[in-house]
Amino acid sequence: MGIAIEEENHYGFRLSDELILLRDQIRRFMREEVKPIEDTLPHDAIGCGREDRIRLRAMAEAMGLTRLTVPEEYGGNPVSAMARAVIAEESSKCRLGGYAPALGAFGGGPPNIIWGGTPDQIERYGIPCVEGKMRAFVAITEPTGGSDPRNNISTRAERDGDEWVLNGRKMWITGAEGADFGILFARTRDGTAEAPPEITAFIVEPTFFGINFNEIKVIRALSPYEIILENCRVPVGNVLGTVGQGFGVAQSWLVDARIPYAAGCIGMAQEALDMACGWVKQRPTRDGMLADKQAIQWMIADSEVELRAARMLVYDAASKVDAGQSGKVDASICKLYGTETAGRVVDRAIQMFGGMGVAQEMPLERWYRELRVKRIGEGPSEVHRMVIARDKLRNTNGGVYFS
Amino acid sequence: MKVLVPVKRVVDANVKVRVKSDGTGMDLANVKMAVNPFCEIGIEEAVRLKEADIATEVIAVSVGASQCKEQLRTCLALGADRAILVETDEELEPLAIAKVLEAIYEQERPEIVIFGKQSIDSDNGQTGQMFAALTGIAQGTFASELRITDGKAEVVREIDGGLQTVLLSLPVAISTDLRLNTPRYASLPNIMKAKKKPMDVTSPGDLGVDVGARTTVLNVAPPPERAAGIKVESVDELVDKLRHEAKVIE
Ligand SMILES: Cc1cc2nc3c(=O)[nH]c(=O)nc-3n(C[C@H](O)[C@H](O)[C@H](O)COP(=O)(O)OP(=O)(O)OC[C@H]3O[C@@H](n4cnc5c(N)ncnc54)[C@H](O)[C@@H]3O)c2cc1C
Repeated sequence: MGIAIEEENHYGFRLSDELILLRDQIRRFMREEVKPIEDTLPHDAIGCGREDRIRLRAMAEAMGLTRLTVPEEYGGNPVSAMARAVIAEESSKCRLGGYAPALGAFGGGPPNIIWGGTPDQIERYGIPCVEGKMRAFVAITEPTGGSDPRNNISTRAERDGDEWVLNGRKMWITGAEGADFGILFARTRDGTAEAPPEITAFIVEPTFFGINFNEIKVIRALSPYEIILENCRVPVGNVLGTVGQGFGVAQSWLVDARIPYAAGCIGMAQEALDMACGWVKQRPTRDGMLADKQAIQWMIADSEVELRAARMLVYDAASKVDAGQSGKVDASICKLYGTETAGRVVDRAIQMFGGMGVAQEMPLERWYRELRVKRIGEGPSEVHRMVIARDKLRNTNGGVYFS
Repeated sequence: MKVLVPVKRVVDANVKVRVKSDGTGMDLANVKMAVNPFCEIGIEEAVRLKEADIATEVIAVSVGASQCKEQLRTCLALGADRAILVETDEELEPLAIAKVLEAIYEQERPEIVIFGKQSIDSDNGQTGQMFAALTGIAQGTFASELRITDGKAEVVREIDGGLQTVLLSLPVAISTDLRLNTPRYASLPNIMKAKKKPMDVTSPGDLGVDVGARTTVLNVAPPPERAAGIKVESVDELVDKLRHEAKVIE
């Protein structure tokens, strides 16, 4: 009895009809709604005007594509990790795609870890974000280093009656200034030879005593901030989760974001490659077009192959999460390969465009700068390689020919 | 009141198509396909009639290969209640499609049939009119407005140099023009629901319709490429060239 190769038992990966349809809807949205607004914005704009944003949000709302990480009971439209990956990739295919995909039309809601908070915290901080009335930051990294947060977080929190008193500094915190609150991680007990340091998550407000912000200018237009805590007083009711369990909270925030993070980078790079293909077909050179030259064709072939591989890794990680598995290592794999691939592909696209590639008339140079950050944020490449290698070595002791 | 909307699977409007090098047709290998934009306007209009409690059921129908199911699913996600695929791998011309749709019309007995005024691939612009002639029902083509009241359809038609308003008794065949409406985005919940909506598959043979071709395509060729421009040194030279080479002035 042979095995019939039909759609039902297709080997390998095939996006579902629903997700293909969803993808096509977003492509149209990007072309017909986002692009015309973007065309009116300065090259390095970090968002669109309020009215446009409200209009885009209303359309996204009607499409059921807002608040995708908010649980249903709090007014969200939770979707699968796979759907988030598709939405992230397509909505990043615009000039502001790196940090304002689809000009902020989709998504929305607080950092998802707030939903692990108390009913009072959810009421005060979670719901207002869902309603678009509040905005939040997440502060893990410190001047002592972000790659190893458990050991490098040296901001201290000491209990004093009904309050915790925080002292220390945070670095590189996106969106800190102007936010209504932030989730900030501090050490509540030093490590010993037997146990690592204990980290606790706190909800801080910029109006609290002893908290200040300094802008840090970086390669991208959207600035991160330094946060200085000097005897900053936080009410005990603002501990998020259990005292000493903050590291797990931080981990779950980071892991959740990695898959769409990689997908967004792939979206920008795919757009860059597609643009370059259009260009080389019409750019004459000696005896022919650029597209006829092998040097160019190899760049195109390598880029397409690498992007497809990167996308498959994203889908692989997302499908694991959707199947209820942890997906932590898989998320590291797709974050590492997605961001590095995207950087290479945009670099090649710029090369194919020549001078136009670095001109601010094109989105390419902006993507190039922003993609550079993506190899550092959400865990730098080296840390993901460490995670992947550790996992591989732990689970592999040899093969059939060596054991 | 039932509304039937015939939809065609065509090359996506954003794709740049190429003619096959042997001149037998267009190169459609691995090309993105979509619902014909005019048909999508038809679906949108039908769904709006349902939302206004005028229509009770919206049925999307497509005639063509099995892959047309993709476009029918899109229509279901946009709000159609069910879909019918008349499956065939034949090359179909407008008359054949009109005959198939006549058979579907006899089965379904819709009060309103909304066609796209043309499909963006072959641009024939004939199917709706042929269908109206075969079924003998009223037709309101190139509609930019449609109102249904008291068993009548008031159709504002886009005609050369202006608009014409006609009042037609039901049942009626409408064909959509661009300005009739702007199709909505399918929402994610509706995309998920579309999977569960019924899709019937039949064939021209089951319907007793002969879809054999009456015409043969001899050759398909791209429009001639425009020659590159030239620079002239002076206005006199320009005038001279316009007069003697381009022959556009006396
Ligand atoms: C624009 C921007 C926005 C950011 N936004 C936020 C935010 O909103 N919230 C937040 O908490 N953080 C944020 N970050 C911080 C980011 O997560 C950190 O920069 C990142 O974790 C790296 O930490 P670090 O900069 O301290 O580098 P370090 O930890 O000092 O690392 C420096 C380099 O050494 C490598 N390295 C480190 N340890 C090892 C090792 N053991 N073996 C081999 N190589 C190693 C790293 O990979 C890196 O390449 C942001 C950063 C940037 C640039």
